[in-house]
Amino acid sequence: MASRSVAKDIITLRGSAAIVSEFFGYAANSILYNRGVYPEESFAKVKKYGLPMLLTQDEGVKSFISNLTAQLSEWLEAGKLQRVVLVIMSKASNEVLERWNFSIETDGEVVEKGVSREKSDKEIMREIQAIMRQIASSITYLPCLDEPFSCPHTSFGHGSSSSAGGFIVSLPLDVLFTGVFDVLAYTDTDVAVPFTWIESDPKLIANPQMVKLHSFDTKIHKVDTLVSYKNDEWDEQ
Amino acid sequence: MQKGDRFIPNRSLMDIDRAHGLLTNRTAPFNATSSFNEAYRQKLIENLTLDSQGRPFKIMVFRGSPKSSQKPIRFVDELRQEVASIFDKDCKQTPYRCIPKGEKRVLDAPKLRNDYYANIMSWGKNNILAVALGPELYLWNSEDQRVHKLLQVPGGNDWPTSVTWSEDARTLAVGYMCSSLQLWDVESSKLIRNLEGHSGRIASTAWNGRILTSGSRDKSIINHDVRAANNLASCIKRHADEVCGLKWSTVGNRLASGGNENLLYIWEASKMSSSKFLHRLSDHCAAVKALAWCPYQYNVLASGGGLSDGCIKIWNTQKGVCINSIETKAQICGLEWNRHHKEILSGHGYSIRENQNKLCLWKYPSMTKVGELGNHKSRIINLCQSPDGITVISAGADETLRFWDVFGPPTAGNLMVSDLQGLLSFRTSLLR
Repeated sequence: MASRSVAKDIITLRGSAAIVSEFFGYAANSILYNRGVYPEESFAKVKKYGLPMLLTQDEGVKSFISNLTAQLSEWLEAGKLQRVVLVIMSKASNEVLERWNFSIETDGEVVEKGVSREKSDKEIMREIQAIMRQIASSITYLPCLDEPFSCPHTSFGHGSSSSAGGFIVSLPLDVLFTGVFDVLAYTDTDVAVPFTWIESDPKLIANPQMVKLHSFDTKIHKVDTLVSYKNDEWDEQ
Repeated sequence: MQKGDRFIPNRSLMDIDRAHGLLTNRTAPFNATSSFNEAYRQKLIENLTLDSQGRPFKIMVFRGSPKSSQKPIRFVDELRQEVASIFDKDCKQTPYRCIPKGEKRVLDAPKLRNDYYANIMSWGKNNILAVALGPELYLWNSEDQRVHKLLQVPGGNDWPTSVTWSEDARTLAVGYMCSSLQLWDVESSKLIRNLEGHSGRIASTAWNGRILTSGSRDKSIINHDVRAANNLASCIKRHADEVCGLKWSTVGNRLASGGNENLLYIWEASKMSSSKFLHRLSDHCAAVKALAWCPYQYNVLASGGGLSDGCIKIWNTQKGVCINSIETKAQICGLEWNRHHKEILSGHGYSIRENQNKLCLWKYPSMTKVGELGNHKSRIINLCQSPDGITVISAGADETLRFWDVFGPPTAGNLMVSDLQGLLSFRTSLLR
């Protein structure tokens, strides 16, 4: 078989960490958009991975995600990150509705010895592209996240007691507000908990349905994606 | 489109032991009512197990910054539902407790000075409210509603500008317009001591055991040791303008001082004498008078800004970081934390837009507005709360003191610092 010689690029530990954490940022944005966690109007299209990717324009969410991915990148470089999970919860009942699980396998030799690997950047991009496409099409089988009282319009009044320009707050360190979505990190036990994180339970779903998505591999970090979701209650009746 | 898109199990992503257990356990169906035991068992398993690759792990959740200045669609609708039901006549339907609409009591407060900077009332552990009305200082006993005039300043050009009970409510500290600071023994209605040191009016005072801290228009903060013959323990000159807010933290190791130059300083008690501050926080754009330490998280401080600012800011004073900021669009004259339910109340003065002359109740830590109270005809100047933590008094420029039973019903053993450990793992507690 005639082999096409694909030019391989050198991947360093730092470069791989950057690729994975960037992937996570875009994936999180895509999930928030596709699952309707934030209104569509708050997202803007950018080109990435050869696809039109949606990124939030909301300053709060933007900085949340960028602070998060910065920390993930650090852990990835140290080879200490095992998983990242984006959890979507019902605000009313705190029940976990969906879990987007990204498992990471790290090549220990690279972390220990500082060697680098080779793989075509384009190929990595293609693998990521496949995952992003799957996330976008996941809405065809994931149960609707709408709660019973939702109204079609998104405006909320001034002067009424609900707004006063409030934030959805997540507070570092101590007592926190579990918002509509959360990001969990599974790390090695010797990782110090940074002050913007707190130890958490895994926020599992009881009896979940699971769908495995494609994975991508930088030859230093291999990322597997799995989405688990709560059984659609209507099925049981 | 890829062929063969069937579900291929991936061992590394599955919890094999649990799956096996669930498959083979025939004794009982998964019962939601035994969820407590199940959750506990699961927690144990989680903590004792390694993942399928034999690696131990720990799990953390990210809480880095406020997530959004907009609420997601669903949340807004649930919140609207929640808020709508608060104002429902049938309180039993509400998921939230009833907040009283009206005052429990109104006291006339003639000659109460319309001065934003003064802190003219204090409710002691002895259930006595000390309040300065013009040149006179009254003591009102909340148990029998009797009133007693403690002092009156003769002359007409001096009056009390700050009043604070000591922690044991045996001494009342009174700061004056003309820079004197006095300690009164209320039982005998006697002046015990005059404390020297300031050259400008004393609008803010705070006790920390036997240390009385005073803040003045002369820009300095003085720590007085009230038991020592030479009372001046330390004098700190850092603020560039009047020190209008002073509060010691619940455990007494940190002091927050707010100035008229819009700065907020955090001080470590042991390092104050060298004028070395722990943090200098400049986020506010107006005077920082309202300060309140969180009773359930000893590191957390709430501060409120004046008219051009109108923000309530929540701080982590360990790191000197602002962890939340909400705009109330009105001058903030006071902040009081609810010790029984996780909320904070703000008192407001002037506003161009909303919340003028009102008291606003905010859920913590989400800082969503629970409700508004207030029938003051003009701006609120001061707030204070009762020793049992149920009632809040607002002193208004309309010369009234209004009592609001806004913080109840009391929880058995309220959420003080000793409950901190349980609260740190917020995941299981839904405190309402």
